[in-house]
Amino acid sequence: MWQSLPELGTGIVYAILVAAAYTFAVALAAGRGRPRLLQAARFGAYSTAALVLFAVLLLSYAFVSHDFRIRYVAHYSDRRMSTAYLLTSLWGGQDGSLLWWSLLLSGYITACVAWLKGRYRELQPYVIATLMVIIGFFAVLMLFAANPFETSIAGARPDGEGLNPLLQNYWMIIHPPCLYMGFVGCSVPFAFCVSALVTRRLDNEWVIAVRKWMLFAFLFLSIGNVLGMMWAYEELGWGGYWAWDPVENAACLPWFTAAAYVHSTMIQERRPMLRVWNVFLICLTFFLTIFGTFLTRAGIITSVHSFAQSSIGTYFVYFMGLILGTSLGLMVWRLPELKSKGQIEAAASREAMFVANNWALLGGMTFILVSTMYPKISELWGESATVGPPHFNRWMGPIGLIIFALMGLAPLFGWRKTSGASIKKAFRAPLIALAVTVALHLALGSYLNYPFFVPRDAFYPGAVGVILQKVGSCLPGITIGLCGFNVAVIVQEFVRGVGARRAAADKRGEHESAFAALLRLVEKNRRRYGGYIVHLGIVSMFIGFTGTAWNIDRETAMVPGQSYRIGEYDLKYEGSRRCPGNPKCSAAEQADIEKMMIFADIEVTRSGKMVGYVHPAKFIYQSQPDGPTTEVSMMRSLHEDLYTVVGQIDPQSKRATFQFHVNPLVSWIWVGLLILIAGTVTSLFPELSLAEAGAWSYVRSAAGVAAGTAFAVWIAMAPGTAYTHERPATARRPQDTSLRSLRSLPTSGLGTAGFVGLALGSVVSFGRRRRVDAKSPRD
Amino acid sequence: MSVVRWAAPLITLLAAIVAGTLFGVQLVVLTLAAAALLLVIWLLWSSVQALAGESELTFEEAFSLGARSAEEEQKRAVLRALKDLEYERSVGKISEDDYHEYSARYRTEAKRLIQSLDENLAESRKQVEYEIERRLAKVAAKSASNKPSEQPASAETVTETLTVTVTGAPMGRECPACQVKNELDARFCKACGNSMTEATETPS
Repeated sequence: MWQSLPELGTGIVYAILVAAAYTFAVALAAGRGRPRLLQAARFGAYSTAALVLFAVLLLSYAFVSHDFRIRYVAHYSDRRMSTAYLLTSLWGGQDGSLLWWSLLLSGYITACVAWLKGRYRELQPYVIATLMVIIGFFAVLMLFAANPFETSIAGARPDGEGLNPLLQNYWMIIHPPCLYMGFVGCSVPFAFCVSALVTRRLDNEWVIAVRKWMLFAFLFLSIGNVLGMMWAYEELGWGGYWAWDPVENAACLPWFTAAAYVHSTMIQERRPMLRVWNVFLICLTFFLTIFGTFLTRAGIITSVHSFAQSSIGTYFVYFMGLILGTSLGLMVWRLPELKSKGQIEAAASREAMFVANNWALLGGMTFILVSTMYPKISELWGESATVGPPHFNRWMGPIGLIIFALMGLAPLFGWRKTSGASIKKAFRAPLIALAVTVALHLALGSYLNYPFFVPRDAFYPGAVGVILQKVGSCLPGITIGLCGFNVAVIVQEFVRGVGARRAAADKRGEHESAFAALLRLVEKNRRRYGGYIVHLGIVSMFIGFTGTAWNIDRETAMVPGQSYRIGEYDLKYEGSRRCPGNPKCSAAEQADIEKMMIFADIEVTRSGKMVGYVHPAKFIYQSQPDGPTTEVSMMRSLHEDLYTVVGQIDPQSKRATFQFHVNPLVSWIWVGLLILIAGTVTSLFPELSLAEAGAWSYVRSAAGVAAGTAFAVWIAMAPGTAYTHERPATARRPQDTSLRSLRSLPTSGLGTAGFVGLALGSVVSFGRRRRVDAKSPRD
Repeated sequence: MSVVRWAAPLITLLAAIVAGTLFGVQLVVLTLAAAALLLVIWLLWSSVQALAGESELTFEEAFSLGARSAEEEQKRAVLRALKDLEYERSVGKISEDDYHEYSARYRTEAKRLIQSLDENLAESRKQVEYEIERRLAKVAAKSASNKPSEQPASAETVTETLTVTVTGAPMGRECPACQVKNELDARFCKACGNSMTEATETPS
């Protein structure tokens, strides 16, 4: 029947749809009082996932064997590309990325179904059914709107068009999978939520089941978003990392709601409150992931990320309608059972703070959502408005600061209600830290070129504009002050915890050293202290974001021999060279057949001391001769980044135009991500105790630690491998992708292992309680 | 079975590596794809088998049929809240008065839940035992008519003990000190804390 690979591939996509439908039906039957069918549904879910894997492998085969009959392969690869980039092309374009999305979803389904074995018996059928609907939707999408196995009408071409050079980048290999991991991960909590609503088991059962899944999705949403920033920062070459592009916004929307949920769930676990709210947040998060994909794919709002426009949008609209209808319908149906039985007892309680923080996060999300959609909304009344980054920056500054302040305040309150005396005690140290930070900043800021006040222009006319302007100009100072406050809060939490442990040990007549107490404290309350570590990461990121206020941006034109001064740097333009061809080029550059590279060599002197060279460049890829790419060259430090971009280089006179940026504190964002990963992994980490853990659990947890660490190290090392600053004598060019991929090979090997390990380790570790449960069912 | 589960992926990986070194990366992908296809076929087959009711219910699956009740989850939440309360008291985030008030409230709640759990469980326990009895009787009848010699001795003793316990409907045994009824496997009395191990095993 299928004589060729493209036809087989299409057939497999049909098979995915059929298998998903079969599993859906069997799962529903299992839910309607025939529990023995559950086993069939479980196998059905596994086989659907395996079918997706098969389809992905088929498409990979088409890529590595250069099967240009397939339109997608012809469009996104060519014969010159290395195997690594050929596989990257799997998610480089619309059709393939849908298949890739399905693969990740299948991974989640497999993990979830395996984890569910022997637990949540009553929720299970509906969890499987919901997940099958989601994967079924993607199968429908692939079949009718974006089939990755579709053949070109004109037949096979001799060579493909090649992957967009912008995507042939280190970050692009890992950024989309990470973000998708986060996006897709929100499906599992949604499935649990739906099944809890259907089965009326609305107590804490599903909330506890969902906890780690949501945290896992949150982790990858954070990683994906920050990696996206890194990509934009290093590849797009405009000097910044976040441009409030619709697609960036779409990617960060679910992050806000996921963050809100991670906090509000803690309340529900302790008190029978906020049930409707939690259900709402989960449904909203899932909806936003689909909405974000819709925004990216349907091309309704113009963006740098725009994929080809297609009929795919209509399908998404229907699916979003289905999600909204189902979740709202179920919520209304179960409203009487969802009603809160508890209430917030005092305004000075952690619950109240969490609710406030939830509202702030949701407010931020809504602001971004509405502003992103505004150009489309305004079309309704015939106006065509554009909403630019300044608008976002003006408003998100204060909103972000409210969230940031609440983040620091919440840990200072206890659950239920807090007495005046303990509030006083809790606030003392953080307030002192706040005052000291502000005072130091006021005194030393201008001297260090980080002034407390940064004057801003009025963006809007009228009173709102003036207020925003005033607030905006002292934002840097306030943010840094709050950073001090937040750090003090976190440190205080750790110190008090350690103190309490040591006091308790003393009472028992044992001695516990401060270090041992710290380790055991975190080990015993992983979620709490993991959360505080995440907060520390956020503080670090806020430091990085604040740095934007002190950016220096310059543009200039120079002839060889000229110097330019920016900040503390003297930049001397030595001349340009064209590789391959120029004798000064390295061997790897000479051997490059993919592209022509034009470098501008600049000697960098900082405060009179020569510190190295930067080589901004233009690359002209053979596959896309009309669109030269801009290659940034940077000199990084924790203090600030020197960011250089070359505009045009005159071939005769060698006169070149440059953009120079000095971006203070940007590296703190990346550092913040590492801390955030560490914190989330700490929270996610399975709880171990000698009584219940066999040797295998220890192996598993050790593997989890190793994987998590490897992943963090990999991300940390990536900029190092990608951007080393060396003299031209050794002639290494940071922009040389082939060289870069070569050098990062060991680390990416390690990292890939880490990535897979992290995913597996975390998911597998979910299973830790099973044996215990089996032994003592009533525990 | 479990050997296959570990060996199959290993063999696939090995085959892929060998194919890769001999014939290049294309064959690696193809080998993996073939393995995935086999996996699909096996899984679908298992699913259909389970659907047709041909596969045996394993002990683990049967065991897990008893899902956790809502009370169980509530109990965990309350215990967790208690643990939190202790922690908050130890770091001085809550005043002594509040601590005592909430602690008492949660403890009452926990007691209520544990009690209701015990009652609920008795019901289903009875049902399970009835099922087991029926099943064992069936097996015994079957094996008696076929090959009586193959019936393992241990199964018989199990049947015996079970029939004994099941017939005396509300199961358990009394504490020798206070005569409160406890679970069969209890080592200490739930009411007075007296040791149960010395008590004679007399099902009431």
